[in-house]
Amino acid sequence: MSDVRTQAQEVFRQVFDDPAIVLRDEMTADDVPGWDSLAHINLMVATEKRFKIKFATAEISRLKEDGQNVGDYLALISKKLARTS
Amino acid sequence: MPDKTRLERAKIRPHPGFVSHPALIGLQKGRVIVATISDSYATLEKYLAAPADDKPEVFGQLLADLRALLAEGDWTQAASIVQRAVMPGGDFTTFQSLYRIYSKLKPHIELPQKTKLALLGGFTTTQLAQAIELALFSMGGGVEIFEAEYGVYRQEILDPGSELHRFQPNIVFLATSWRDLIHRPALGQGRAEVAAVVDAELADWSILWRTAHERLGCLVVQNSFDRPVWRQMDNHEMRHPGSLWRFVSRVNEAMADGAPPYVVLHDVDSLAALAGRRTWGDERYFFHAKMPCAPEFIVDYGFSVASLLAAQLGLSKKCLVLDLDNTCWGGVIGDDGLGGIRLGQGGAEGEAFVAFQQYARALKQRGVLLAVCSKNEEHIAKEVFEKHTEMVLRLNDISCFMANWTDKAANLREIARRLNIGLNSLVFIDDNPAERALVRQLAAEVAVPELPEDPADFIQAVEPYRYFQTLSIAQEDLQRAEYYRANSQRDEALSGSANVEEYLRSLAMVARIGPVTAMSLERSAQLINKSNQFNLNTRRRSAAEVSAMAADPQWLTRTVSLTDRFGDNGLISVLLARLEGDALLIDTWLMSCRVLKRGVETLLNNNLCRWAAGRGLRRVCGEYIPTPKNDLVREHYAGLGYTRISADGTGHTRWEMPLSADWQPQPVFIEEQEFDE
Repeated sequence: MSDVRTQAQEVFRQVFDDPAIVLRDEMTADDVPGWDSLAHINLMVATEKRFKIKFATAEISRLKEDGQNVGDYLALISKKLARTS
Repeated sequence: MPDKTRLERAKIRPHPGFVSHPALIGLQKGRVIVATISDSYATLEKYLAAPADDKPEVFGQLLADLRALLAEGDWTQAASIVQRAVMPGGDFTTFQSLYRIYSKLKPHIELPQKTKLALLGGFTTTQLAQAIELALFSMGGGVEIFEAEYGVYRQEILDPGSELHRFQPNIVFLATSWRDLIHRPALGQGRAEVAAVVDAELADWSILWRTAHERLGCLVVQNSFDRPVWRQMDNHEMRHPGSLWRFVSRVNEAMADGAPPYVVLHDVDSLAALAGRRTWGDERYFFHAKMPCAPEFIVDYGFSVASLLAAQLGLSKKCLVLDLDNTCWGGVIGDDGLGGIRLGQGGAEGEAFVAFQQYARALKQRGVLLAVCSKNEEHIAKEVFEKHTEMVLRLNDISCFMANWTDKAANLREIARRLNIGLNSLVFIDDNPAERALVRQLAAEVAVPELPEDPADFIQAVEPYRYFQTLSIAQEDLQRAEYYRANSQRDEALSGSANVEEYLRSLAMVARIGPVTAMSLERSAQLINKSNQFNLNTRRRSAAEVSAMAADPQWLTRTVSLTDRFGDNGLISVLLARLEGDALLIDTWLMSCRVLKRGVETLLNNNLCRWAAGRGLRRVCGEYIPTPKNDLVREHYAGLGYTRISADGTGHTRWEMPLSADWQPQPVFIEEQEFDE
């Protein structure tokens, strides 16, 4: 899990062009400057590439909805990784 | 703050002492000299050489270097490195990062060759626009891009008052996909009937091309239509007259044969085929963001379009310069001799070198110059061309033959001088990473693609750069073009439209307009919470709140659904208004941008005013609340004939429409079907 977090953090740092981002579970799109719908696509693409996973169409939408946070995002990645390994 | 630095890549200074460094003088094959190159160039070389899987990690270092260069204000070197690091087939996230760096250094550099591109998309063009700009930058050109809202290319072209006309582009790019086909054959139609549908399709596009060309004096770039990732008729898709694939192929052929000379076809269908249609068409990102292809191919797509802009700017390459040992054949001729080098039948690797020579020869046949730049004794090198039976390339294919022991940067300058072309017209192919690194730094204008170790991969390493792009291949079939032009003029009277009014009429639009119902509640709430651009008030509301308003007699709710002859656009506009005294106050007004400039807002306003006038109200009031995204509708109410009654310092404006007895609706070209519940 911690490895997922570290790698996801690198993804965030690159996508949002901010080497200082530190991921916390309770973070939402409102906490990260620039996390608009365009950047969300970039985040999804970068995450898929980094972890070699594939999000379903509905998952891509869901991760941007109100009430979703970084914790949910990390949990989804871990779930997918567990399924593939 | 340093002075604005003019970008002259020739003046990029190498590391002090580099030129006379001993490693350079006696440069041997296989010896990598990156250690002597200034640090960020060394990182660049490491990045270019890294296998695809390792690239993102190495890119982290390159990004850090680039940020440091920006912090120091070394725009020239940062620009040079970005230009080298951008490559077709590059990773989408890496491209986004490079684009950000490019955006930061752009104000500080000058690109002498610039063009203006209007990008009119049937899909979201944001990422493609960036990819085009960055790819063109890597080719040495600059571009100012105007992006229309997606799906409104007809209005932009046909309306002389549109933003497109104010922008005055050099090139209009109609970035379409198969979803933008105007006509579709019916499955039961025979060959002759489908042929007529193909003619109609061509005629409709011809009108847009001609209008754009005549009014703007610009070049038109039109996408071919990509075929979808599925086949309705399975194996018979290519043969059955009414199938979509066959129709798309026929339309592409008709455009290829019938488009006038000012139209350049950009063959996006071939891009899809080369990438692999299923991978290319990752439709998740179309469903989400209306992206035209899987994100990973946006960079390739950008390169392909940018190469056409480069051709227009005269930045296309003219000459392919080839190293010899381990580039044109396997082994070292000076050591291995004529019988020892690997070339031709008898060995798989030898065949791969033959295939690469055939590619070079094919380029020569279409007009690309070939040159040789090799560290060899000239007579030994030439002997291979003269005597080796498996050689595809012969001495008379080579316009300039440089085989000596001088450094390659100097030789490349000499080749350019002798051929009387610019150094920036050369593409240099060399299997030796040290030579590539040297040329990249000392002859910075020369394009030097990274070359994989396996000769079977050479063509793939070169081809996607589209170095030798041209806008047209000779003057072919002019007569046939004339025939098609006449044909399309005849068809114009039938299906065409040369002005917006005619176009809107030809759409045969029907609007269903009425209150929010249980059926439309979810979609209405979704639009309310998602629309940003055509949104006067940007007030977000839950489905429950909207449902309550629909039931409240003090509120008026309206939704508009629109169909036209191309299909059903679904529910595309929502309005919420509140009764107060003798006034109807518009609380929320929004619309999907895919039906911009069709008159839907006028229709809705007519409906609203009629409703209010019918209840004896005296005025309708609206307001515009500015956000970073809704500038599009700043003058919305002015356009509808409202009077501005107040404005504050933030740009928040209030508007009013008096409703007298002689109130008249404004003309629209949409049939209105009103419903109650």
